[in-house]
Amino acid sequence: MKGVEVRPPTPSTTATGQQEQSTHSSAAARRSARTLLRSMFQEDRFFLLLSVFIGVFSGLAVVCFRFAIDWCRIYILGSGVGLSPTRLVLAPALTGLFVAILVKRFFPGARGSGVNQTKAALYIYNGYIPVRTAVGKFITSSLAIGAGHSLGPEDPSLQIGASLASALGRYTRLSRERMRLIAPVGAAAGLAAAFNAPISAVLFVIEEVIGRWSAGVLGSVVLSSVASAVVMRWFLGSEALFRVPTVHMEHPWELIAYAILGIVGGLASVVFARGISTLRLRFRSLPKQTQIWQPAFAGALIGFIALFGAPQVMGAGYEYIDEAMHGQFTWQFLAILAGLKIVATILSFVSGTPGGMFAPTLFIGAMLGASVGGAEHSLLPFFGGSPGTYALVGMGVLFAGFLRVPMTSVFMVLEVSGNYSIILPVIVANTLAYVISRGLQPTPIFDLLTRQDGLELPSMEDLREEESLHVEDAMRPPDDLVLPHGATVAQALQQLTEKSLTAVLVPLQPYGWTSIDKHTLANLAEEGQGAVEVTSVLNSGPIPCLHPDHPLDKALPYFDRWDLVPVVSRAGLTQLEGVISPRDVLDEYRSLPVESE
Amino acid sequence: MAELTENLDFRRYFTREPVIVALLCVGAAVGFAAVGALSSMYHTQQQSLAVYWFNKGNADLAQHRFERAAQEFHVALLYSRDSYDFRLNLAEALVGLGRIDEASTYFNNLWERQPENGLVNLELARIAARNKNIEQALRYYHNAIYGVWPPEKETMRRQTRLELIDYLLGINAKRQAQSELIALAATLGNEPAQRLRLGDLFLRVQDYQDALSAYRAALRADPGNAAALAGAGQASFELARYSQAARYLRAALAQSPENTSLAALLKTAELVLQMDPFRRGVSLAERNRIVIRAFQTAGDRLQTCMPATGLTQPTAAERNLPDTWEKIKPRITDRGLRRDPSLVETAMDLVFDIERQTSVTCGAPAGTDMALLLIAKLHEGS
Repeated sequence: MKGVEVRPPTPSTTATGQQEQSTHSSAAARRSARTLLRSMFQEDRFFLLLSVFIGVFSGLAVVCFRFAIDWCRIYILGSGVGLSPTRLVLAPALTGLFVAILVKRFFPGARGSGVNQTKAALYIYNGYIPVRTAVGKFITSSLAIGAGHSLGPEDPSLQIGASLASALGRYTRLSRERMRLIAPVGAAAGLAAAFNAPISAVLFVIEEVIGRWSAGVLGSVVLSSVASAVVMRWFLGSEALFRVPTVHMEHPWELIAYAILGIVGGLASVVFARGISTLRLRFRSLPKQTQIWQPAFAGALIGFIALFGAPQVMGAGYEYIDEAMHGQFTWQFLAILAGLKIVATILSFVSGTPGGMFAPTLFIGAMLGASVGGAEHSLLPFFGGSPGTYALVGMGVLFAGFLRVPMTSVFMVLEVSGNYSIILPVIVANTLAYVISRGLQPTPIFDLLTRQDGLELPSMEDLREEESLHVEDAMRPPDDLVLPHGATVAQALQQLTEKSLTAVLVPLQPYGWTSIDKHTLANLAEEGQGAVEVTSVLNSGPIPCLHPDHPLDKALPYFDRWDLVPVVSRAGLTQLEGVISPRDVLDEYRSLPVESE
Repeated sequence: MAELTENLDFRRYFTREPVIVALLCVGAAVGFAAVGALSSMYHTQQQSLAVYWFNKGNADLAQHRFERAAQEFHVALLYSRDSYDFRLNLAEALVGLGRIDEASTYFNNLWERQPENGLVNLELARIAARNKNIEQALRYYHNAIYGVWPPEKETMRRQTRLELIDYLLGINAKRQAQSELIALAATLGNEPAQRLRLGDLFLRVQDYQDALSAYRAALRADPGNAAALAGAGQASFELARYSQAARYLRAALAQSPENTSLAALLKTAELVLQMDPFRRGVSLAERNRIVIRAFQTAGDRLQTCMPATGLTQPTAAERNLPDTWEKIKPRITDRGLRRDPSLVETAMDLVFDIERQTSVTCGAPAGTDMALLLIAKLHEGS
């Protein structure tokens, strides 16, 4: 960036001089303005600004989505009690049929939950999600959830946010790199508004969509989440999704009770995930013409479940989570509700009805948690936790076990409850559920669904646990690769010849290292400088050092200039820990097992 | 050339991104306005649905159709989930349905939000009382009494104390009930009905003096109040003011002659008055006649009671009542009593002993025996 040039005024001030001066100051002002604008609208800063707008628009869209779901429920299922059995069965069935027609004819991208589509936008389509998908998702999900299909609004909100963000990115002509990142930014905004939990939304997107902590996108994700949550609270109030009762843990040994909940939750997660993955394949293998009837079939079955005494399984079911938290059901009924909700959600999801799995997961977790808590309390009365505490922990357990997002699961419970005193039970139970679920169902549900869709997106779980190689894994001990202090050219050449080396490291004073190769030494010897100290004939500066904990790929750029790079301790730059060459790096990579497809 | 490039560059920066931002701002403003309008529609609809279902629930609750009321309150809560009143009424409907555990959870949650709410504390007290949790019940009853009530329900505070007194009497905590009654008396007005209720409660806790005061206060406002007259008569009777009791009871019976228990009480009071030889203003002849009759009555009672009990085998400390009665009997004549006036006391002591003893061994007496027993109590220690 050029500085602003300022000329001193001349002693003879003429009209021309004044004009010139005015022109110059005008130019200077323009330059300053330009500098300011450039700085303001540099793409990275503009991206941050855009993230706020993404949050605002996503928030507005999600608020409308919530209204639409409620209005659909009121007009399809009625506003209150006394629904006739015919309507209870036919409403979800006929709406399912209508939704299927809409999806098949107009919005094929609206199928499923939306999380994988957002990941696909990030990894395959350079951030591109058609606006039609968002419109389709909005309409079809509102109808399906409003008509009582056992699905939730969060994943569709996530996709609506991502789609809006993608549209904004295209409209503002962002670079390809930014376009790729914009879908997760919108996804976080959509999820934050749907959940009224911005921290959980940020964590979920980092954990499940992006896969790693990246400073470049974190700021945007946070800004968009906060903006959308603010918009949502503006219109719908700042209350959490559920009224969380006072939660507490009276004694540390109650952790045993929560551990049991973790185990039960882990097993339930596996049943839920296997049910979805198996039945989805079965449903897909049915003749194509049946696909339009599948949501209707699922809707009718859910209607029957409601008709026979469990209307709680219809829709997202937040109000019943609230009731479970406040001990409104017996533990036996809670267990039945958890089981029926698993069945209803599997049916709704595998039939291709658009809608999300977050709310059903929370529902199942809350019912299961309160049920396990109630059963424990009736069998072993000294376990004193309230149903609300168990329901809350249960929600986290299913999140960890089924969706396989352990970090989000912990923070979601804390954010929703606003109570950090249950962090220990949550961590214990979630970890157990996660471990059990991983053990019994190695592939997470989102990855299974992706593969069934014929895509190969990176597994976030694998990414999180990918072992990265470090310099220390490939480096060799220095041994004979270092010239002794004061060695002459002849001695150095002899050392290289004896050891069959191509280059050696030369220590510099007061510290630092450089290298010299055999060819250079031979030339110097031919020129008759064999008795001269190597350090006095060196014409290259010190080599930048590596440290043992550096990632191995950090060494690669060095090999363009140096064959041998010193690896020094962080405790002292003179303390040589080892050396590394291109061959060492290649050997290390060759030793890794190659993943078979 | 450089200047031209700079100008183009400047124009680009000055036209593209700021315009985009400006457009986004306009878009956001329009979006806010549109969603604001939708939101207003949405909230109005939700509110009206909430009120509609709440009113339906209230109507059903008033007619004790608890099942429907509970469902309707549930629905109302869907549309206004934080409404305190909706939750409260739902909890009351659940109580009506006998789903006490569920109701209890609702009340506990409501209590957490407003621990000072009188109605919630009252309901929690009732639940605790039902669960036989005396300590908790008393705590919630007191919270309710000293809690916050809406102005139109201020009388509930008094009702709650009355309910607490009933509860305390039910668990036989008469001393605590009496304390509550004294506190209640201070808050009551002079309405006859309230004073009457107070008198009844004092009577139940056996605080006869306060009961009499309460009945008298009721009678001052309504002198012909039959219930107050009966209560005053009963209280006076228990205070052993038999002539006063007879006066009140007669007046009460004049208004409700069919009341047999009052008639029996009056009869006993009159008998006490008739059979007391030590009352003031009794002539010698009359006194002797009373003593002779009392002696005979006691002898009859002894005769009736003797075969069924071990009265013939007294302990060392006791005197043999039948033998003593037989021994004295020949002397208990009008002439004998005139000749030896000290026989009056001897005879009456024996009569009192017989009545006391037989009341223990043969159960509560009736009629003249009862009167004699009461006279015995009246003159105890004199």
